[in-house]
Amino acid sequence: MTVTEAPRDVVEAPAGPALSAPPTGLAAVVGSGDPRTVGRLFIGTSLLFLLMAGVVAILVGFERVDLSGFEVLDSDIVRQLFTLQSIAAVFLGVLPLLIGLATAVVPLQVGASTVAFPRASAAAYWTFLASGGVVLAAYALDGGPFGGDAEAVSLFVAAFIALLVALAVATVSVVTTVLTLRAPGMTLRRTPLFSWSMVVGGTVWLLTLPVLAAVMLLVYLDLQYGQQFLGGSDGVYDRIAWVFWQPTLYVVAVPALGIVADIVPVFAHRRHHRHAAAMGLIGLFGALSFGAWAQIGFSVDGQSNPTDWLYDGVWIAVGFLALLPVVGLLGLWAATLARGRVRLGTPLILALFAGLLIGGGVAAGAVTVIEEVDVVTTTWASGQELLVVAGTLVAAAAGLAFWAPKLYGKLLPDGLVRLGATLLALGAGVAAVAYGVAGLYDQPRAIAASLDGVSEIDTVETLNLVAAVGLVAAVVGGLAIVAALAAPVRRRTVADDPWDGHTLEWATSSPPPVGNFAAVPEVTSEAPLYDARYAGASAGPAESTEAPA
Amino acid sequence: MAASSADIEVFAGAPAAEPPRPRVLLVGSALASGAAAMVVLTLVAVYARMRADVIASGQRWLPEDVNVQLSPGNMGMVTLLMSAVTVAWAVYSLRNDDRVHAYLAFGLSILLGVAYIPTVAYGWQQLGVGITSSTQALLIFTITGLHVAMTGVGLAFLAVMAFRALGGQLTGRAAEGASAAALYWFVTVAVYGVVWYAITITK
Repeated sequence: MTVTEAPRDVVEAPAGPALSAPPTGLAAVVGSGDPRTVGRLFIGTSLLFLLMAGVVAILVGFERVDLSGFEVLDSDIVRQLFTLQSIAAVFLGVLPLLIGLATAVVPLQVGASTVAFPRASAAAYWTFLASGGVVLAAYALDGGPFGGDAEAVSLFVAAFIALLVALAVATVSVVTTVLTLRAPGMTLRRTPLFSWSMVVGGTVWLLTLPVLAAVMLLVYLDLQYGQQFLGGSDGVYDRIAWVFWQPTLYVVAVPALGIVADIVPVFAHRRHHRHAAAMGLIGLFGALSFGAWAQIGFSVDGQSNPTDWLYDGVWIAVGFLALLPVVGLLGLWAATLARGRVRLGTPLILALFAGLLIGGGVAAGAVTVIEEVDVVTTTWASGQELLVVAGTLVAAAAGLAFWAPKLYGKLLPDGLVRLGATLLALGAGVAAVAYGVAGLYDQPRAIAASLDGVSEIDTVETLNLVAAVGLVAAVVGGLAIVAALAAPVRRRTVADDPWDGHTLEWATSSPPPVGNFAAVPEVTSEAPLYDARYAGASAGPAESTEAPA
Repeated sequence: MAASSADIEVFAGAPAAEPPRPRVLLVGSALASGAAAMVVLTLVAVYARMRADVIASGQRWLPEDVNVQLSPGNMGMVTLLMSAVTVAWAVYSLRNDDRVHAYLAFGLSILLGVAYIPTVAYGWQQLGVGITSSTQALLIFTITGLHVAMTGVGLAFLAVMAFRALGGQLTGRAAEGASAAALYWFVTVAVYGVVWYAITITK
């Protein structure tokens, strides 16, 4: 018997029935499990939800300008919109935005051909879209927290649980991708920092979202059977609001730190200063952000709401300790930039804005836990929430600008993104400071709360006007970012690695082909492309001070 | 006998050994199991906290008309513990290519898992009150009902892996799938251990 051998690549495929053409148009989107498609769907949808949340925040902001009464909207509607702004910003906006970015970028960063569970990711997106739509529809039907229609309130709670499940499923897919599908040689120690931050943040999300889902299930059953815990829809928001308080609030910002940490060294033309330390600090920040223990408790009579953790030792300690990793990371980024050759590109500018906003938010949190200052129930906490959420959004915008060649096959219009993110950062910053100062005058956080303790009403109203104008600027900035994403491609092609990137996503084409990589790359450090670029040279633009990984 | 250089040369052109398969399903199941456990454990924590608060105020926790019997809870616990053993048996058999034992172990596991559900239903019947009667009853029904749902997911997972084993997919990946299902099942049993202690034992 004669055996002939031929290289696999020249063997012709056996004749057979022709394969059906891959779907195009809407069918390609609806039926796609491609992580880039699913990621872009998450990103696009969450940006639209975020714009809506921004408009709601503006309405609520202008409602505060005249504290003598409700001038813009009806008092019941204002209370509902007050809850919607935070729920939409975090659960319909920031979290899915980060999940979308991670779904598209993480497989590229770790050298995988796709996410771990592509169909689960796609199913999570469609569930997110449907449940998010029902959440908004429930609000429109006078449901939602403080809603007057009992059935619509129950509908809101049920849809919100489905939303949480969708976010958790998508998170499992991303985290599993990093843990199991890394390229040969890529140990966890060599994992890019955004992917690492998704492991940290995603794990804490997976410990937090189920807690919220369980509480909401109890709320749902309570609304359906007897109303023993809550006494109707008025107590629903208290069971969700702990997510917007520290330390749980910080969990949304964990991936943002990873985005900044991936952008800074690329634009410094240098390895990340003490990469392992940065990983540790992101991990510490994530661990400190687990705050499901700090929520309003249930009571049998439905009247008393135990919050014995407030001003307790652990809560105070976490408030201060959370500063450490953020300050440490800011220091590492400053050292990276100081020792490198900085190119002031748009992603870097946005990343620095994001780092400062998040740092400001965590610093405000350290003030919040001081009992003598007594600002935990005031708009100081609103300002803190705004800083952390806006900082995360600006980081996401930086990530979109940075990874646009891989996500969209184009570079985003530089000026528009820079203008948009600057407006977003400055507008949110101004609004946060104004709310913070108003909080020092004892303006309550809850919009319908009594104003008896408020001193200097005129000053507070002026601050509220400044905050509302800041929110308008932030939303206009968000619109500019969306416009930049939607802008047509100016050039036919974009370079595979327009930034001189350090990590694996820049080793493939822009946009990446199906399967991401023609050959699975071997990884020997946390910055393999940086190494490859300067291999053989006597010295790179900035020598690493670290031992090889 | 030591291999000669000629023997080694035969393998020189052979393709490299496949890298170990990533344990995607196992890790994904571990994350999902942890998340599912957090849902039930959160409600157990609410139950324990409220119970402690009520007892600390000098009142009785369970109302007179709520009757939490030991027998259904204990039977459920024993049933699930036995199922944990049979699930481990199934995975061990699959890894050792022992199909007959694997089928038997999967069958027993599913049988025991299904048998657990009537014990819970019997416990509900013996409780003597409805879900709307009190806060305590609402919590007990919610926690145990949620655990039944968690068990149902585990049974479906086990059934899928059992059918894959029946279909002869006893490759490394299928064995990993069985390990993933077993991991989820072990978490389900462990969570029931907490539920059983909180509700059946301490009441």
